[in-house]
Amino acid sequence: MSIMQYNGGSVIAMVGKDCVAIASDLRLGVQSLSISSNFEKIFPVTDRLYIGLPGLASDVTTLREQFRYRVNMYTIKEEREIEPQAFAQLVSSTLYEKRFGPYFIEPVIAGMQKTPSGSYAPFIAATDLIGCLNFAKDFVVAGTASEKLFGVAEGLWEPDLEAEDLFETISQTLLNAVDRDAFSGWGAIVHVITKDKIVILSSSAFISPGLGLAS
Amino acid sequence: MEVSFAMTGKGYVLLAADTTAVHSIIKVKTDVDKIKELSPHLLMAYSGEPGDTVQFAEYVERNIRLYQIRHTYPLRPPSAASWIRRSLAESLRSRNPYSVNLLLGGYDTSTYTPHLYWMDYLGTLVEVPFAAHGYGSYFALSLLDRYHDPEATVEEGLAVLRRCLDEVSKRLVVSPGKYKVKIVDKDGIREVEL
Amino acid sequence: MPDGSFASHPQERQFNPYSENGGTILAIAGADFSVIAGDTRQSEGYSIQTRYAPKVFRLTDRAVLAVNGFAADGNMFVKKVKQRLEWYRHAHAKDMPLKAIARLIQTMLYAQRFFPYYVYNILGGIEEDGSGAVYSFDPVGSYEREACRAAGAAQSLVQPFLDNQIYFKNQLAAPNQPHPVHLPLSDVLSIVIDSFTGATERHIEVGDGLEIYVVLAHGRSVQGLEGVPGVQELTTSGEGDRVFVIRRELKKD
Repeated sequence: MSIMQYNGGSVIAMVGKDCVAIASDLRLGVQSLSISSNFEKIFPVTDRLYIGLPGLASDVTTLREQFRYRVNMYTIKEEREIEPQAFAQLVSSTLYEKRFGPYFIEPVIAGMQKTPSGSYAPFIAATDLIGCLNFAKDFVVAGTASEKLFGVAEGLWEPDLEAEDLFETISQTLLNAVDRDAFSGWGAIVHVITKDKIVILSSSAFISPGLGLAS
Repeated sequence: MEVSFAMTGKGYVLLAADTTAVHSIIKVKTDVDKIKELSPHLLMAYSGEPGDTVQFAEYVERNIRLYQIRHTYPLRPPSAASWIRRSLAESLRSRNPYSVNLLLGGYDTSTYTPHLYWMDYLGTLVEVPFAAHGYGSYFALSLLDRYHDPEATVEEGLAVLRRCLDEVSKRLVVSPGKYKVKIVDKDGIREVEL
Repeated sequence: MPDGSFASHPQERQFNPYSENGGTILAIAGADFSVIAGDTRQSEGYSIQTRYAPKVFRLTDRAVLAVNGFAADGNMFVKKVKQRLEWYRHAHAKDMPLKAIARLIQTMLYAQRFFPYYVYNILGGIEEDGSGAVYSFDPVGSYEREACRAAGAAQSLVQPFLDNQIYFKNQLAAPNQPHPVHLPLSDVLSIVIDSFTGATERHIEVGDGLEIYVVLAHGRSVQGLEGVPGVQELTTSGEGDRVFVIRRELKKD
């Protein structure tokens, strides 16, 4: 059994119309033994930017702290918030720094990117455990249920979903994928990010499907 | 085999650890205290590689104490947990990592809340309502899923703990005989006899 | 060895009788019909051996078998099942019922318990009571009747999608409007096509072509098939259960 599967867990991010969503399960296990049903893997970077860190739980915390430190230093030096595009590069270089003794994490990034005209465009990205970036236009997945997430997302996702519909799509994709994965599940959390800096967050042992956005 | 349990209740955290020291097939001691008192409101149950355990526990104990001396107040449970986790995570990628698993129970005197953390030698840290390490976890976690109540009184908490220990004695082939049980709450730390 | 000796290093050689040829199959049962589908790509490693190798076979007027895994074993197995069904016809002057075919497949698979056919089977068709049915098997004959099943290279991509779309998993029914137990044929065909285009998009071993077999219970209208481009009937009698096939292109990259 690979280290990437040791603790279990999955993350997915999707693009919508003027919004993005990022979601994960809440399980933490040691191989097949479940330890916690409240282990969050998605963390805020700025008001409009989130990062999901599925993989080895120890490195989830280590990298979270590492990114917090580096983003704080960036904010102080640049006297502005970091943009998703720049943060993705920061994630990539942080991981590649440890090319020959990597962190066992496959990060997923979701946020709203400032455009030259002053508006915001949805942004998602993912990397492998040594920081190879993947800028997708539709959705990105990672974790022990990644194959299942790909399958369901490919079937459910469509372009230009409004925030409410994107929430429903990402919730259904995540829930049905983790239900077929022994290492993921035990609750889920969804974040929907819109350009108005509003972050809608829904957390529960299971998200009530079909009920729309809970706040 | 080493066994340790912990659970939260209404305003307290309960920790229990076996008291046996084993060398190969021989029980060398049966009165070992594997729960360290790190500060007035912080307990740490440790298990794992013999040698590493005591060495690491004492290293933690002294650093937590040093913080208290320097700042005149002790680290609160979440901060202590973060510091200990980082020590283990840095140790993991060093030449000679510590193999120590921990349960950290504390009472936050600023927010008046009990905290329990499950931590392993990899530096995995998670806050939980109840936890266990060792073979005991395969028996205790399912019992605690059923019987744990975060609003339980100390008496009720001890009764649930009793269930866990009884199950381990009944079903685990190499079950330890004796346990040490400690409680931390607003009044500090105390040991209880079961 | 430099000194010319060979004795000190014993060499081992092994023949591996199995291979894995990719592809994916799935089947969905309706109230009075059954849909059995498979892609037509056959590959080994990163090489495509052919873009058209059928994995779905008509056994009788009421039974269709999809076979996935090691293609050589799959073809041989279908051949032997067909042979047994012919013998049955000669002995009893009728086609074997679907549930009997399912049990036959179990016995034939388990007979090879210690040198198994390296294939996952999905049998679809119409039961004697006229209901649509799907039976799924593991390589050594463990089987069950289900409403839907995916197998093969993209099973992990397709099955959770089917859980959601066929079983309505994680969906709350509106008050006084429970989820349907069986979907209409047109909906099922859309779900099948979506499943395969999705799997083709993300799995390198899936693609090229799609064959969808539809078995209709006798007396059922062709509702859901009319207007479907390229649908072709394989049965000739017109009475009894009927088998149709629909062929679609899938991406070839």
